[in-house]
Order: sequence, then structure tokens, then C-alpha cells
Amino acid sequence: MLGIVLDLVIIASLIALAIQVVSGASLFRGIIHFIVMGLTLALAWARLGAPDLAMAEAAIGAGVTGALMMVAYRRLVEITPDHNPSRTGSRSRLALPIAVGAGGLVGLLGLGATLSDPEPGLAGLAVLEALQDEALGNPITGVLLLYRGLDTLLEIAVLLTAFLAAVAVTRREDLDYSITTRDPHTPLVGALLAIIVPLTVLVSVHLLKAGSHDPGGAFQAGAVLAACGVLLVLTSRVSASSQSRPLIGLGIVAGLISFSLIGLAAMLRGEPPMALPGMWAVYFIETAMMLSIALTLVLLFAGTESLRRNQHG
Amino acid sequence: MIDVALPAIVLFLLLNLVAGMIRVYRGPTLADRMLAALLFSTTTVASLLILAEWMAIPALRNVALLFVMLASILSLAFTGLPDRHDDEAGDS
Amino acid sequence: MTASEGLALLLLLAGSGFYFAGTVGLLRFPDAFCRLHALTKADNLGLCLICAGLAVLSADWRIASVLFLIWLLGLLAATVSAHLIARQARQAGADNIDPPEAS
Repeated sequence: MLGIVLDLVIIASLIALAIQVVSGASLFRGIIHFIVMGLTLALAWARLGAPDLAMAEAAIGAGVTGALMMVAYRRLVEITPDHNPSRTGSRSRLALPIAVGAGGLVGLLGLGATLSDPEPGLAGLAVLEALQDEALGNPITGVLLLYRGLDTLLEIAVLLTAFLAAVAVTRREDLDYSITTRDPHTPLVGALLAIIVPLTVLVSVHLLKAGSHDPGGAFQAGAVLAACGVLLVLTSRVSASSQSRPLIGLGIVAGLISFSLIGLAAMLRGEPPMALPGMWAVYFIETAMMLSIALTLVLLFAGTESLRRNQHG
Repeated sequence: MIDVALPAIVLFLLLNLVAGMIRVYRGPTLADRMLAALLFSTTTVASLLILAEWMAIPALRNVALLFVMLASILSLAFTGLPDRHDDEAGDS
Repeated sequence: MTASEGLALLLLLAGSGFYFAGTVGLLRFPDAFCRLHALTKADNLGLCLICAGLAVLSADWRIASVLFLIWLLGLLAATVSAHLIARQARQAGADNIDPPEAS
């Protein structure tokens, strides 16, 4: 009973927050509403029993997108200092019909899903049964790597494409623009980095390792590692550079290349493509994907193709 | 008894969050809105911890850990915001 | 209800009381610096009490140590955030009013 009330409060706040995010007059208020919506969304995933998604939401929402929006807001104010950063202009007349139509469609789909017989698809049951025999205890990692390998591979390819597109449109003068916090050298920030940076690395490795039997995996681990990189960029311990470095380039493509090579090697052995030879391959691919995801997200955040380390006395 | 108390406390925390949204809505300064977001972050952490106990999903504790570990990134990004907006000092 | 459950419930209720106090402070205090006090102090005591209550309830030292770590990180985050936000608010002064509504 209380659970249903809780769910209803979460749903109502999610809808109200979503409306506020897109319709708020003040841009900064919209950003804060977006951040709070991320928090509420994590609670919703928790209530739905999906800790994997809650974890991804926490790592991406708290670590990357919130900071990204703050930095974008700041850039917007600096580019157009004489322009009010609030949203102006009237709302389109189509806004209300589209919103009502979309809401109705979602409601109809949800109603259909709840009313239909909860008969699970045969393929899903078969997969879950087959996964019992595998060494992977976490069905999500199992499905992502063993059954939907091509999808996972293409997701990594999408991330790489997004990075290449971002690099293609980055202008050289944008690199001079600093996205660091105002006083990156106060003692408190140093102490924070000394605790949080090793901890994020530890947690991401733990999530990667736990991903084989518990909620976690390459994406969550990569996002946590990316948050660590964002922290370093914000505090100007690491900053954008136009000089390309082979190690960074290798890190960006590591996930895609190792997954494709191991997947294609299966064809040489006469197995179907993307068949993995064993647990070592799972760990190897997951580690490479984690590094690629983390590096790509940090580079996208910094808006650059390469990074350099800053020395601090 | 405790099985009723845990969701009730989560509900209470969530209602606190909803009430706190008034501060985000009103502002008036950027810092006020940011403060409210930070309060909601710890409220969510507490709710996730209680949900982990109630729903018996230990992985939710890891989610709470992630939130609390990464909370300071947001305030670091916030501190870089410019001092003033030139044309809006008067319209508060 | 066992004695440990009663203790846990007491701690949890006290913790949510502090969260309530934090929310009231956030809404009622006059300016950003006062609200900073309401929030960081009440909030972390609230997190502390809730973590303590859940640790008693779980009666497992591994869960208790995770909860302790979460509380310590919460303290660290609140300290750093309060410092940075107070600094921003002081440097920005009264000029940094976010426009309430676009006219």
C-alpha cells in the first residue's frame, strides 16, 4: 500500500520536474530541475528493481551531465553578456497538442502493457535458462556480451562516431577557453581530489569486476571513471591540448578494436561471429570498453581531442 | 512494524524533497538553487539506503555511494559560474 | 518488535527529523548563508542517524562499514560544497540574481 503511494509520488514529481525542465523561464532553474529529475529517476529505477540503470543514472547524471550543463550555461553567459540567458520568445501553438498526444500515447502503451497477459516470451526464458550455465551470474552483462554482442559493439561505435563528430566541429580557439572552476588551488580542493580520485578508480574497478555477477559492468565503471576525469578537468589538473597523443588515441579505440578482433577471431575457429572464447575474453573486452567509454566521455566534456597534464607545485 | 516504517520514512523524505522544490522555484540567487539541489542529493542518498534495506537490493547501496562520491563535482562546476549578469541586476 | 529494531526505528525517525529541519531551514531562513548552515549541519547529522539506524537494522559489519563510508563521503562533499558555494555567493554578492521570470 505504502509502496504504491511512494511510486505515485515519484511519478508525479517526475512529470512535474520534466515540465519544469523544458518550460521554466530561467535557464539555470531548468538546469537544477534537470539535476533533481536525475535524482528522482534514480529512485524510480530503484523502485523498479533495476539497480544497473540507477547506477548508470547516478554516474552519468551526478558526474558528467550536471557539470556539462553548468559549464555550457557559463559559456552561454560569457559569449552573450548583453543577452539575458533566460528563455524568451513565445511558446509554439503546437506545444500543448503534441504534449497531450505524446502523454496519451505513453499512457496507452503502459495500459496495454499492464493489461496484457504477463506471458514471458519464449526466447527470454530460454536465454535466462541458458545463462544459468554460464559463468556470468549477472544476466544483464550476459545478454549484452553473449547474446547482443553486435548491439553492444555498435554502441561503442556510436560513441566513437560522436567523439569524431565533436572533434570535427571543435574550433582551435575553443581550446583556449578554460572550463575550470574559479579557484582550483584552494587547499580544500586538493584534499577533495586526494580522497575522491583514488576512490573513483577503486569503485570503477570494483563495478567492472562485480559486473560479471552483480549489478555493474563496463558502462557504469566507465562512467565513474569519466566522472573522475571530469573532476580533474574542472580543477585544471588536466587540461585540453591540441597535440595528439598516441596513447589517448589508442585508449579511445581500444574497446571497439578488442571487441571486434575477438569477435571476428571466432569466425576463424568456425564459430558464429561475436562468439566469445571464454571468461578471459569477457574481462578483457569489458576492461577495454571501460577505458574507451571513460576517455571518450572526458574528451567530449573537455571539448578536445587530446589532454595534457598540468604541473602543480 | 519495521516493514511499514521504512517505506513511510522514504515517503516522508520524498515529501521533504517536494517541499524543498519551492526554494528552487523561488531562488532568488543561483546559490540558493544550488543549495537546494545539494540537499536533494543527500535526501536521495538516504532514500536509496532505506530502499536497499526494505527491498533487499544491496546494489542500491552502491548507487547511493556513487551519488555521494560524485556530489562535489557539481558544486565545483557551479563555482566557475560568472559573477554577474550585466543586464539583469535590476529585475529581481 | 525486537530491541534492536526499536533502536533502529528510533535512529531512523531522529534522522528524518533532521532532514525535516533542513527543509524548514531551506525554506524559512532569510539568505543564502543562513540556508547553508541549515542544510549542511542538519543534513549530515540526518544522514549519520539514518546510516546508524540502518546499520543496527542490518546487523552486518560489512553493510555497516559501507554505510560508514557513505556517511564520511557525505561529510566531505557537504564541507567542500558549502565552502565553494559560500565563496561563490560572497563574490557574486547581490548582483547574481537569477531572473525569476522572463518578461
